[in-house]
Amino acid sequence: MAFLTGFHTLPRPQSLLKRPGFVRWGVRIDTAPEWIWLALLAAALWPTWLWIGQRMLDRSDDPLGLLALSALGLLAWQQRRRLRPAPRLLWLALALAGAVAATLSHGWLPPLVVALMATTALASGLCAFLPVSVASAPVLGLSVLSLPLLASLQFYAGYPLRVITAEASRWLLALGHEVERSGASLLVDGRLVIVDAPCSGVQMAWFGYFSACAVTLWLARGNRAFLTRLPVVSVLVLSGNIVRNTVLVAAEATGSHVPGWVHEGVGLLVLAAVCAAITWVMSRPEKAHHV
Amino acid sequence: MPSTLSQQPSTARWLWLATAGLAAACFITLTLRPAHAQDRDNSAPRQKTESPYFFVKSNEPGLDQLPLKATQVDVRISGVIADVTVTQHYRNEGQRAIEAKYVFPGSTKAAVYGMNVRLADRLITANIREKQQARIEYDSARKEGKTAALLEQHLPNVFQMNVANIMPGDDVKVELRYTELLVPQSGNYQFVFPTVVGPRYNSPQSENAQAKWVAKPYLPAGQPSATAFDIKVQLVTPIGLKEVRSNSHSIDVQKGQETGDEGSKSANVTLRPGNGPANNRDFILDYRLAGDRIESGVMLYQGNPGSGENFFLAMVEPPKQIAAQTISPREYIFVVDISGSMHGFPLETSKALLRELIGSLRPSDSFNVLLFAGSNRFLSPKSVPASRANIDQAISTIVQMGGGGSTELIPALKRVYAEPKAADVSRTIVVVTDGYVTVEREAFELVRRNLSQANLFSFGIGSSVNRHLMEGLARAGMGEPFIITKSSEAPAEAARFRKMIESPVLTSVKARFEGMDVYDVEPAQLPDVLGERPVVVFGKWRGQAGGQLVIEGQSASGPYRKALPMGSSNQDAAALRYLWARHRIAGLSDQEALEGGDAQRARITELGLQYNLLTQYTSFLAVDKVVRNTQPLDAPSVNQPSPMPQGVSNLAIGAEVPGTPEPAVWGGMAMMLSVLAMLARRLRRHNAARLTA
Repeated sequence: MAFLTGFHTLPRPQSLLKRPGFVRWGVRIDTAPEWIWLALLAAALWPTWLWIGQRMLDRSDDPLGLLALSALGLLAWQQRRRLRPAPRLLWLALALAGAVAATLSHGWLPPLVVALMATTALASGLCAFLPVSVASAPVLGLSVLSLPLLASLQFYAGYPLRVITAEASRWLLALGHEVERSGASLLVDGRLVIVDAPCSGVQMAWFGYFSACAVTLWLARGNRAFLTRLPVVSVLVLSGNIVRNTVLVAAEATGSHVPGWVHEGVGLLVLAAVCAAITWVMSRPEKAHHV
Repeated sequence: MPSTLSQQPSTARWLWLATAGLAAACFITLTLRPAHAQDRDNSAPRQKTESPYFFVKSNEPGLDQLPLKATQVDVRISGVIADVTVTQHYRNEGQRAIEAKYVFPGSTKAAVYGMNVRLADRLITANIREKQQARIEYDSARKEGKTAALLEQHLPNVFQMNVANIMPGDDVKVELRYTELLVPQSGNYQFVFPTVVGPRYNSPQSENAQAKWVAKPYLPAGQPSATAFDIKVQLVTPIGLKEVRSNSHSIDVQKGQETGDEGSKSANVTLRPGNGPANNRDFILDYRLAGDRIESGVMLYQGNPGSGENFFLAMVEPPKQIAAQTISPREYIFVVDISGSMHGFPLETSKALLRELIGSLRPSDSFNVLLFAGSNRFLSPKSVPASRANIDQAISTIVQMGGGGSTELIPALKRVYAEPKAADVSRTIVVVTDGYVTVEREAFELVRRNLSQANLFSFGIGSSVNRHLMEGLARAGMGEPFIITKSSEAPAEAARFRKMIESPVLTSVKARFEGMDVYDVEPAQLPDVLGERPVVVFGKWRGQAGGQLVIEGQSASGPYRKALPMGSSNQDAAALRYLWARHRIAGLSDQEALEGGDAQRARITELGLQYNLLTQYTSFLAVDKVVRNTQPLDAPSVNQPSPMPQGVSNLAIGAEVPGTPEPAVWGGMAMMLSVLAMLARRLRRHNAARLTA
């Protein structure tokens, strides 16, 4: 009887096929397209985007960050058919932690630090869905470069860079001129030339690291190659800025007015050479390693 | 599967370790021994000077940064006395209340005796106050929200007007009045109204290094002032007018109907419209009287019976200058300013002048030239004979020089005085500069202390010369000041200088009064008369007017004596009160400059307060009774900018030091993307070649 009773309590076949709501939602969430996840993550971090937009509009920083963001967007678009349906959980956890930390620290920490957490969180989110063959370090690198960094870098790193550049230029110029350095100024044959803020090479450094990230991703080089070659990028950028500075200081020291287009021309030529060298370094094939 | 770090060859590991180690070492070094841009000694005061700067138009909404809309000058010259009314018209066209500050020039001989403020239909008369007291009262009126005006003197020819709580839409007219004595030179009368204070180089060694007024804004060269300017001169003389002209401005002269045998005795002078900005240079009006005569004689003024004082002014025509028979050899040292403010037109004018001055030296003379800016250098190690070869070489060197840098006048003068000098040669120092410095007092003291070594003549070059410096230097050095506003004036001024050096008009001058009780005579000691300018004596008198004034001296043709009757008093000569007091204050200021500090402060303050005169220790203050601004602390201070004096380049304020900036962001971006695009193209080709191979 008990059996019969039990038989009678069984659900009818129609209700067996009917799934509970939470399951249906779970399935729908699990099968949602990857871009929705990334879009939701980005939307959650809206205060940061607002701040970055304001920084660009009030001209307190150059709009170079847009280029890095575009590069990340292009990468995501290129890889759209290869995005992983099952994200890597470690990266996803990092993205979640970064987003939470950025939201909680909003108003407590400097906006640039909060923005760094937010962009890293978004990049981690992207890494979670990107195939393993795409190196994560340059993606994170691009996310850092998308920040309005230049003004802050100029403030904190500008002076040491200028002093190093001026001192190296002094060594080079001493071969043919009478040179004295005082701080970041050079007295060349009695003429004062200042290695001031726009001469520090911070902008060239940004272009250099951007090229390194872009080439690594383009040519699908690995994290190890990218990270081990970064010091070479730094050396190339610093050398390029020293060469550019030395040439222009020598031109200014002649006493005749050097027109603006000469400054632009020399600067662009050196930048092209530095970018080409970085591209060459980054595009070199990786050595095969035994696992 | 990607390889792990532990499995990598040792090269990568070493690279990482080296990089991390270097970074750590840099961090530790920077933490332990931080790098500073400049060593700072906390015990010593920071070496900081106040300097002029370029005006920057802020985009702060509702703030009127240019409140001074117009300056109107009305001049009435009667005989040898000019009475001037300057009206500064301030209007706040913004939406915020402001405090306007304006540094403006004045004549070096001006006796500023009155000020009033017109605010809507109210007239507020200013009172003279001790300077600190006036400043305290002005500040408290400003904080209470009352409209107030404070006029201060920074130098005898530099004043500052402060007008507090100018409300939005307000129309404030500040009138100040001064009087001035016009002393003719070779029969030529000159009235000068300076319109702009030139940008001063402020040496860190100057006692004015912290003077706030020096830090005033300037418009870049070529940018006209937004302030309208107009000047009208009414000229009345007892002798007919022969000629009225202006070398500085285009003017219209309308002579009066009242004519005598010698022509019209009055004229109205106005600026001719449509000739560009008029307020970026001195307004200079020259006029001559019929027969090149000068108004000589004694002017008497009788004060109120009982308490009032009586004053007199005597102007005695000098003898004519005649060529000297014997001329002793002289040594000339030319001290030439080649600083940034002299760049361009002033330096070219200096070169023209030096060509004239050096080119006309006699072979028995010797000379040297000291060029100075931030540093200084002699053209030759010691003075050389004025031979044709030496003169030509000096002129060719001078012609090649360019202007730039600061204006360290004191070290240059010290170097000249340190030059050894032969006992039997009389030395003349000629300073050629625009005078845009703040070391007037130090320079006067230096020249006065070395008077036994050399006398000094000054040549002021430019459209808005610091006349206080030029006149003060010449007075201290027992010489004469010359002002040259354009190259074409150089030959005539150089000729006048030569004539003056070669044959002074009158030396050992003494004044004696017979039959009249006079006291407080100014100047106490009459200076030698070098050019053809009259001997001027001020003083007070008591009792009955009468008797005569006798001037005695030594002229080129022998002893000189001239007697002038002390005539009857003239009540129109009330300005004599101010002129006498102004002269006495100038004498005390000279003495103070020599003694250093403010030893004469009490006496000058007393004179200022007694005679209602603006001095370095007394100021004019006008305060409205009505509180008009309910939030006075929110009213920002606005410094009215001045235009750059005509002919002065932007180098007077600062030279652009060349740098080596990186290319523009957009250019860099385009270049980098091009390089990446080329890489992409190369890769595509490479891959295509591999596929087709």
